[in-house]
Amino acid sequence: MPARFPGTTTDSHSRRPMTVPRPPRVVLAKVGLDGHDRGIKVVARALRDAGMEVIYAGLWQTPEAVVRAVADEDADWVGLSLLSGAHMTLVPRVLQLLRDAGLDHVGVLVGGIIPEDDVPQLLALGVARVFGPGTPLPEIVAFLNQHPLGGDAERCLG
Amino acid sequence: MSWVTLLERFRRGDRLALSRLLSLLARGERSDEILGRLDPTPRGTRGSGSPARVVALTGGVGVGKSSLTGKLIEAVRPAGTGGPPGLSVAVLACDPQSPLSGGALLGDRFRMPSQPDDGVFIRSLATPGGQGALAEHLDHMIRLLEAFGFDLILVETVGAGQGDTSVRDLVDVVVLLLQPETGDDLQWEKAGVLEVADLIVVHKADLPGAANVEAQVRSMLALGGRDAPPVFRVSARTGAGIAELLDTLLAQPLRRKECDRADDLLRLARDTLTTRFSRARTAQDAELQGLLGRWQRGELSAAQAASELLRLLAQQQGSGVRDQGSAGGPSSLTPDS
Repeated sequence: MPARFPGTTTDSHSRRPMTVPRPPRVVLAKVGLDGHDRGIKVVARALRDAGMEVIYAGLWQTPEAVVRAVADEDADWVGLSLLSGAHMTLVPRVLQLLRDAGLDHVGVLVGGIIPEDDVPQLLALGVARVFGPGTPLPEIVAFLNQHPLGGDAERCLG
Repeated sequence: MSWVTLLERFRRGDRLALSRLLSLLARGERSDEILGRLDPTPRGTRGSGSPARVVALTGGVGVGKSSLTGKLIEAVRPAGTGGPPGLSVAVLACDPQSPLSGGALLGDRFRMPSQPDDGVFIRSLATPGGQGALAEHLDHMIRLLEAFGFDLILVETVGAGQGDTSVRDLVDVVVLLLQPETGDDLQWEKAGVLEVADLIVVHKADLPGAANVEAQVRSMLALGGRDAPPVFRVSARTGAGIAELLDTLLAQPLRRKECDRADDLLRLARDTLTTRFSRARTAQDAELQGLLGRWQRGELSAAQAASELLRLLAQQQGSGVRDQGSAGGPSSLTPDS
């Protein structure tokens, strides 16, 4: 899959419809058996304060449950947090299920403890960005604001 | 993809189309067109074959609305043991929207069953303040879910309190949740939400003090002029009382079918005015700007300005709507694929 989110964001931003009437809706979830939810809650708060609608799906979610939440909430983005080391198993599974469900347009972000070597692989699989520990919150906010509609400019705006 | 295509897919039972149409209605986009094409007398096709039953759960912050909603979902699904098996259920969960940033942290579905189940649909809604604890356009969203064929529609209000009574107009049954240690018996004498409740749940019944609250509520209700609503002691944690609550809830009359819908008409008129107002404002309508200016400079009283505004918005019928339609692009009025 070609990278949909080039380093500079102006390209993809400019081909977006100018009539975007709203901030992004973002599902945040912890996938798998990993009880560390401080980081994802801090991110949830930052996105909320930036005017976004954050749906917090919480701990111990299966990939299937996350994808169902994304579908029912009509989310533009899903943010997955993993500190368990299972990211190379669980993240590809979420990406595959999103495609199977016809949700290719939804952008995927990953956070948590992701070894540097794994980042290029995740990006190649279709993850838009990996935001590790120490990422300034405004950086995440700015990225989402530049891509409010997830990965797709062709969404129905009515 | 246009809303017309979405509606076709919606009619074929496409869940993603339902989700997308809900978003349009939530934002007040294409509402007239979408609602105008729905079956006016939907029947639950996913389970009971009866009209949808719409139930509101309301009560204070942290009283356990989401947890109880989650338990009710489990109880009506085929795997559940608490009620008639296999009702399909949709949830509209309202959580507050920040008055400062407009953002919202929607954390209700976190407390509900998360394993995918085609008979369960959960949507979280950001809810501005001052709306009576309900998201905007909630009535439209209820109609869409009804038309999709859900048997049971659960509406969870924002954690609210006294005076949030507007939900009664939209639903068949209002369930009010109370919890132990909420105040002395004078609290129950006050007017408001207790009066519109059809069922009262003393929640967190596993905690000490639940019996006390139940006694206080019962004694207050005994003084009332109308038939006292049933009171249940329920615990989402232990599951106690869920089955009894569900049985009663499913046996309540469908109040929405009984009323004369005059309130619906008023609400529709109000929505129309709101839409026209925000369109005119966004388009920087000259007449509206002038009116606002005269009012702000004190040349008109608030009451004069308001009736002037009504006249102005009433005139905008027809041309305003049509202009808006063509501005929305070729797909907005012409059915396409």
